[in-house]
Amino acid sequence: EIKTPVPAEGIVVSTPPQVPPGVASAPSPGFPGIESDDILKQNQAQRNEVQPGNASPTWRVIKEGTHNYSSLPALEAGVLIQPKAQFPGQARATTAGEAWRQYRNGPLTTFGGWLLIAAVVGLALAYFIGGKIRMKAPMTGRLIERFTSFERIVHWTVAITFVTLAFTGIAILFGKYVVLPIFGHTLFGWIAYAGKNIHNFVGPVFAVSLLVMFVTYVRDNLPTLTDLKWMTRLGGLIGKGHAHAGRFNGGEKVWFWFGVVVLGLIVSASGFVLDMLVPGLVYSRGNMQVANLIHLVAAVLVSAMSLGHIYLGTIGMEGAYAAMRHGYVDDTWAKEHHDLWYDDVASGKVPRVRSPEGAARVGAPVKAV
Amino acid sequence: MLLTRKGQSGQRSSTRFSSSLADTLSRALPTMDRRKFLKRSGIGVGAGIAAAQLGLIRKSNAADGAKPGAAGGKIEVRRTVCSHCSVGCAVDAVVENGVWVRQEPVFDSPINLGAHCAKGAALREHGHGEYRLKYPMKLVNGKYQRISWDAAYNEISAKLLETRKTSGPDSVFWVGSSKHNNEQAQLLRKFVSFFGSNNCDHQARICHSTTVAGVANTWGYGAMTNSYNDMQNSKAVMYIGSNAAEAHPVSMLHMLHAKENGCKVIVVDPRYTRTAAKSDQYVRIRSGTDIPYIYGMLYHIFKNGWEDKKYISDRVYGMEAVKEEVMKWTPDLVEEACGVPEAEVFKAAQTMALNKPSTVVWCMGQTQHTIGNAIVRASCILQLALGNVGISGGGTNIFRGHDNVQGATDVGPNPDSLPGYYGLATGAWKHWCTVWGVDYEWVKKQFASQAMMEKSGTTVSRWVDAVLEKNEMIDQDSNVKAMVFWGHAPNSQTRGLEMKKAFDKLDLLVVIDPYPSATAAMAAMKVDGQELNPNRAVYLLPAATQFETSGSVTASNRSLQWREKVIEPLFESRTDHMIMYQFAEKLGFAKELVARLRMVPGKGGMMEPEPESILEEINRGTWAIGYSGQSPTRLKAHMRNMHLFDVKTLRAKGGKDAATGYDITGDYFGLPWPCFGTPELKHPGSPNLYDTTRHVMDGGGCFRANFGVERDGVSLLAEDGSHSVGSDITTGYPEFDHILLKKLGWWDDLTDAEKKAAEGKNWKTDLSGGIQRVAMKVHGVHPFGNAKARAVVWNFPDPVPKHREPLYGTRPDMVAKYPTHDDKKAFWRMPTLYKSVQDKNVEQKLYEKFPIILTSGRLVEYEGGGEETRSNPWLAELQQENFVEMNPKAAADRGIRDGEYVIVSTPTGARIKVKAMVTPRVGPDTAFIPFHFSGWWQGRDMKEYYPEGAAPIVRGEAVNTATTYGYDSVTMMQETKTTICNIEKIVA
Amino acid sequence: MARMKFICDAERCIECNSCVTACKNEHEVPWGVNRRRVVTINDGVVGQEKSISVACMHCSDAPCMAVCPVDCFYRTDEGVVLHDKDICIGCGYCSYACPFGAPQFPANGAFGLRGKMDKCTFCAGGPEADGSKAEFEKYGRNRLSEGKLPACAEMCSTKALLGGDGDVVADIFRNRVLRRGKGSEVWGWGTAYGKSPNAGAAPPAVAPQGKKS
Ligand SMILES: Nc1nc2c(c(=O)[nH]1)N[C@H]1C(S)=C(S)[C@@H](COP(=O)(O)OP(=O)(O)OC[C@H]3O[C@@H](n4cnc5c(=O)[nH]c(N)nc54)[C@H](O)[C@@H]3O)O[C@H]1N2
Ligand SMILES: Nc1nc2c(c(=O)[nH]1)N[C@H]1C(S)=C(S)[C@@H](COP(=O)(O)OP(=O)(O)OC[C@H]3O[C@@H](n4cnc5c(=O)[nH]c(N)nc54)[C@H](O)[C@@H]3O)O[C@H]1N2
Ligand code: HEM
Ligand code: HEM
Ligand code: SF4
Ligand code: SF4
Ligand code: SF4
Ligand code: SF4
Ligand code: SF4
Ligand SMILES: [Mo]
Repeated sequence: EIKTPVPAEGIVVSTPPQVPPGVASAPSPGFPGIESDDILKQNQAQRNEVQPGNASPTWRVIKEGTHNYSSLPALEAGVLIQPKAQFPGQARATTAGEAWRQYRNGPLTTFGGWLLIAAVVGLALAYFIGGKIRMKAPMTGRLIERFTSFERIVHWTVAITFVTLAFTGIAILFGKYVVLPIFGHTLFGWIAYAGKNIHNFVGPVFAVSLLVMFVTYVRDNLPTLTDLKWMTRLGGLIGKGHAHAGRFNGGEKVWFWFGVVVLGLIVSASGFVLDMLVPGLVYSRGNMQVANLIHLVAAVLVSAMSLGHIYLGTIGMEGAYAAMRHGYVDDTWAKEHHDLWYDDVASGKVPRVRSPEGAARVGAPVKAV
Repeated sequence: MLLTRKGQSGQRSSTRFSSSLADTLSRALPTMDRRKFLKRSGIGVGAGIAAAQLGLIRKSNAADGAKPGAAGGKIEVRRTVCSHCSVGCAVDAVVENGVWVRQEPVFDSPINLGAHCAKGAALREHGHGEYRLKYPMKLVNGKYQRISWDAAYNEISAKLLETRKTSGPDSVFWVGSSKHNNEQAQLLRKFVSFFGSNNCDHQARICHSTTVAGVANTWGYGAMTNSYNDMQNSKAVMYIGSNAAEAHPVSMLHMLHAKENGCKVIVVDPRYTRTAAKSDQYVRIRSGTDIPYIYGMLYHIFKNGWEDKKYISDRVYGMEAVKEEVMKWTPDLVEEACGVPEAEVFKAAQTMALNKPSTVVWCMGQTQHTIGNAIVRASCILQLALGNVGISGGGTNIFRGHDNVQGATDVGPNPDSLPGYYGLATGAWKHWCTVWGVDYEWVKKQFASQAMMEKSGTTVSRWVDAVLEKNEMIDQDSNVKAMVFWGHAPNSQTRGLEMKKAFDKLDLLVVIDPYPSATAAMAAMKVDGQELNPNRAVYLLPAATQFETSGSVTASNRSLQWREKVIEPLFESRTDHMIMYQFAEKLGFAKELVARLRMVPGKGGMMEPEPESILEEINRGTWAIGYSGQSPTRLKAHMRNMHLFDVKTLRAKGGKDAATGYDITGDYFGLPWPCFGTPELKHPGSPNLYDTTRHVMDGGGCFRANFGVERDGVSLLAEDGSHSVGSDITTGYPEFDHILLKKLGWWDDLTDAEKKAAEGKNWKTDLSGGIQRVAMKVHGVHPFGNAKARAVVWNFPDPVPKHREPLYGTRPDMVAKYPTHDDKKAFWRMPTLYKSVQDKNVEQKLYEKFPIILTSGRLVEYEGGGEETRSNPWLAELQQENFVEMNPKAAADRGIRDGEYVIVSTPTGARIKVKAMVTPRVGPDTAFIPFHFSGWWQGRDMKEYYPEGAAPIVRGEAVNTATTYGYDSVTMMQETKTTICNIEKIVA
Repeated sequence: MARMKFICDAERCIECNSCVTACKNEHEVPWGVNRRRVVTINDGVVGQEKSISVACMHCSDAPCMAVCPVDCFYRTDEGVVLHDKDICIGCGYCSYACPFGAPQFPANGAFGLRGKMDKCTFCAGGPEADGSKAEFEKYGRNRLSEGKLPACAEMCSTKALLGGDGDVVADIFRNRVLRRGKGSEVWGWGTAYGKSPNAGAAPPAVAPQGKKS
């Protein structure tokens, strides 16, 4: 009994296409030669009309990493695939996670590793070829209080936390290539677990002491023209005679400003993000990836620089460590390395002793270290 | 450096790790054979791929079966059925030392093939029940205190007896449960009868009562005609008022399979649902306007001559009158009423008419309206016009609600009928008294009077009014003073504000439930300025779940499945039938209650009636709907041999049950009712109702002759040549009784014993089953006759379904054109208002203050009032807060942003706090709130009022706190699908 | 050799979350850890809505594995990517790297405290002895060793989710696509298995239109 359908005159069957809220109907980057631009602009409802069953517009939405509906409350529960990302220097965009992985596991691990190795090798060469920088004149036995106990406490707090962070952080980054093959999974797992937690808790301590250090040391680290000259002469390596320097020389100021302040703050700030301690921040995977990359780059650089600083502060230069350990330097040391500062002390512009407890010790010779 | 393969265990220095890794690598995957694998992976794959290609096969000895834990305890696998909806998905519960440790899918089940939705997949949590009520409790000074079972029984029964004495048996209202199995449901109906009352009801009232009434009055039985499985045969399907993807998810397995074979899918719903997302055509209608829409379709069907004229003339009564009404609904009127342009309606009509067999699926979107009875009939009429009823792939696939709402409707606590739709007339009482083995006169004495015995009780949708209404306005002596909630939530009934008043006025409240806490908290909470009956007593009794007992459950497709007991009742809980028996002991009718039942030891060695014996009692009495053939033996054989049944037809090609030797050949799975005659007759059950293409002994049939043989001179019987295959009578015929049998000369086909029992009886009351046997087996005729379906149901308020606007609406212009009914007095014992409410609302311009249509419904993760499922952490995690779906435009107009809390206010004065979900799922004129939440009261968390440890994990605002007045004009179904609200931004 | 893979058929998935709860149930995964989740794209938008269930895809060149600082991942013969919780330090890097958001953590606290990573095991347990108590407590059940397939796929309400040998599930999927003539995209395969998928596990090449994502 079924008759052929006779649609009533003028009836056009159509559902007006809708655009979902928040989902841009704008086309995603084209796929040249596969679909025309026009088609790329279609949403799923429009596509259904011309090509029923073709769900490309939907798949595009997915690949854009949009936040879709999920009844679960987790932050990114509604994202099916991470959005695409392309970090500087990468050839093409991939999912953000993949891009991050390629960046971290690729150039950062490789170059970072080589940089640290290069730094160690360079310092070794400096030590074995150049040798320790010794004082040229004999010690006078007269002391100057170079660092007050507070200054020293601040320095060592920073130094110890830094070293802790550097070791644990680097274990996270390189451990599996270096330590794991030696220790095996279980032992390394434990070490890494402890290291990771130590790193995450010590980080904030470092960051806070870093601020104190900044306040404590900034005055004498203000750059001057002398520092520029010091630097052009590479601290006396080039040209003859001693390069002039104030309480801190140009090299130290570079360390202070670039190493300690800039990189330290970058590492700290990104570390706070990785530690999920910044209130109000959205701890999305994307943000974490960026924070990690920043942290990593800065951490590797600062670690490499710190090697130089530590080298000079220990075996690289005679008398330096004592200065930071006990607070006092001999007039000779001051004259040879920080002549302008010594002049100021000699002229009384800068007091020879700044802390009350220091007075007793000045004048008495300091035991060699 | 890419570490894509870490195969070389030698690299690893940790011996433990590397050796275990080596294990992993060398581990051969014990596999299943190809057939099993494919079955587990997806249906309908069958042939086409050679077995040799299956890369998975490495070992032929399949390590199947459960192997949980390595503890070596006693491990058993018990087959049960999900208790969360009517699909009836089978589950294998793995029990180790009495603890339910694992749950495995039953791939053999023809219904679900191992598939589940979230609720079914999380079923095992019932075996732990962390948030269940653990022991009986009593409300003392606003706090719940633990008491003993004995104390509870003594105090409650004393109070019940006293109430019965002072206020009569009708002053107690018993809310039974669609979550009870058939045996418990039947026992409860008996229990309430022996208490002396018809004041009992269950979820079906607020679920499919309009369907049952409307559909039964159209063609005989008020049930789903076909099955989920049969939808695989459909060429087109229209879901109208059903969101099966969330409410009956596993049914989608069959539908999507059909869709892959070309079935066209239409979804008609005010919301773009998950079901709609799977449709070929989605039609957005204004809530409550299904009749205009269906008539709009019929308009095109008639106009194009797409109706099945022969079918209509052979098998349908009154189509002309309907056509007359239909043709008034011109496309412009349809569009004006439901907002659907002609082209859309035309397209849907065309799809349904030209892709036959086509089926219609409906559920709460149609039933829960003041005109629900008319809407469902309009859907029946659509299917009759297309000649789709009684046809595989066609029918009205009415998806039922709770796991056993079908069974509880069939044999359970209904206020207007004894089990099996026998009604309440004297004859019905006598029939059941005989079956129960009790004296009719004794039962009569239990009642206030014979008149009250034969008068329908009031309904669960109106218990609030039965408590609060002025006494002179109600049609029973005393108001209701005591309520027993025996497996029913409070937040599922409308008008929450008034319900709280009713709770506070009661003398006695008893809640018997594994999760009684929603009711408990609602009763215990204090509402400022509201009077509390100082003598009120509140008790909570821990019931066992369906996994702690055994029994049969009837799925939506009328198949019965037998649940094995999985675990012993947890904590101090007891099975419902044990509680019934123990109460009966205290109330003085224990002997009668179990007169014909076998008693067996249950929890703690206490006696309880054996479920098998109750099912046998149901078999002995329920001839009218063919619950007579499903003996426990047959059902259990089916459960053990699920693999023998065909997924598409549900039929067993052959095979014997190894345990009993029962021959399953020819049976339909679960013996879908009607399964006529005694079990020995071996009727196979009826997979599709009214199917004339099959012999009656093959599950075939015709429309039921339930409304006489003629009306105003027009025959109501089927026309010549319209009969089921193999029928000795080749025209319409009336239902069978002893007289007809004799007239036809078939009396002597009865045995002597049968003759004795059948004398003076009809096919429904002949306890020997002889009349059914002779009619069906010997003569191939249907015992209930062969009549026409009624397109006109003259005994209903609107014989031809008529559109009427809801009481609360946003369209006064429509109210003017399509006003509601006149008010009714003494309707199910209650005065019931229609016109006066509607007129007042229009007069007060409520549509200006409440301009958004509020509808409600389901989320896939939660069920019903939700207390059970919100206590299940695996489910609760998925929906942690209640929300209102609102359109971006409606939100923008109000400055509301997605995810923020808003106040939804309704004309009742309720102000509920939910989260805004800004979504195009709904149009700008509609909002939707899921109804599964409770535990918040207008913004306040009620946790402190819960019994300790029994508050569910997720609580939220119940939409029914805010729903409004309105009841169906035939069944007292509450209006939950169309009311009005405003949504307000919260200003701090 | 079987190469285990998932396919989620977006033409079938109805966001019923059965797969999610099946996983929770089978492995007793704690609140807040979701080895599997369901995502709906264009939710409520007529004609555009699609749901997809996602868990670990057991990638060929797995980014999680590559970034793990302690190298605790390993791959089974069936291509299942597993990890060792005893070694995991809870750094979260795998979750930054994973395209699908599969790695989960029991906590998400300040100082980067997360607990041990948990993710879909393809129901294949972990490094402990198959079926042992320790394995269950750390990784959940080992269904593969019992000859069973993933619980999520087995219980999927619509069989949208297919889990098993890549070739077989691709066959089943291809079959459906041929019958319905649409929905050919295999979601996530491009991302998970790359341009040169394992031998014998090529994404089903069906109707030419549409691409993998
Ligand atoms: N997950 C889950 N499943 C369940 C249940 C549960 O609680 N949770 N409960 C079971 C029970 S008891 C039942 S009765 C069934 C109910 O199953 P359904 O009836 O399918 O579920 P609902 O969500 O109540 O309503 C269905 C749809 O009706 C639409 N609707 C509202 N008003 C109208 C209208 O006027 N006309 C039309 N055509 N549609 C309208 C709603 O938008 C909704 O999408 O589900 C059963 N299955
Ligand atoms: N606004 C609005 N309201 C609605 C609806 C709607 O769509 N919108 N839908 C309506 C519909 S269709 C229905 S069916 C109802 C459903 O609403 P209810 O049926 O009231 O909701 P449930 O929470 O399923 O209630 C069942 C109770 O039985 C308990 N139970 C479970 N198993 C057993 C058992 O074996 N024995 C005993 N004694 N108790 C047990 C459970 O713990 C639970 O408390 O809600 C209705 N209300
Ligand atoms: C200057 C000293 C620091 C160094 C050298 C350093 C170095 C590193 C390195 C190398 C990593 C591993 C990156 C990778 O593998 O991708 C790392 C990670 C991390 N760092 Fe630092 N870091 C330093 C300071 C800090 C600070 C100050 C904080 C916090 C305030 C911090 C918090 C973190 C965190 C949270 C991680 C992620 C590790 C995890 O949670 O597992 N770091 N760091
Ligand atoms: C074990 C590691 C370290 C050693 C042995 C060390 C040693 C020294 C010594 C000897 C000095 C005094 C130099 C002088 O008298 O001019 C000094 C100065 C200083 N150190 Fe370190 N140091 C260490 C680590 C660090 C770290 C990690 C930081 C910061 C991140 C740091 C920041 C400074 C600063 C700011 C000064 C003052 C000079 C200036 O401003 O440049 N040191 N250190
Ligand atoms: S709730 Fe219904 S569809 Fe879901 S598993 Fe249970 S019976 Fe099956
Ligand atoms: S899906 Fe994520 S967690 Fe799984 S293997 Fe791929 S990258 Fe790893
Ligand atoms: S969280 Fe664990 S598994 Fe993930 S990368 Fe870190 S250590 Fe590896
Ligand atoms: S495969 Fe197993 S572990 Fe993975 S999501 Fe599925 S159920 Fe969970
Ligand atoms: S169980 Fe299947 S249909 Fe349901 S959400 Fe998961 S994949 Fe989709
Ligand atoms: Mo229901």
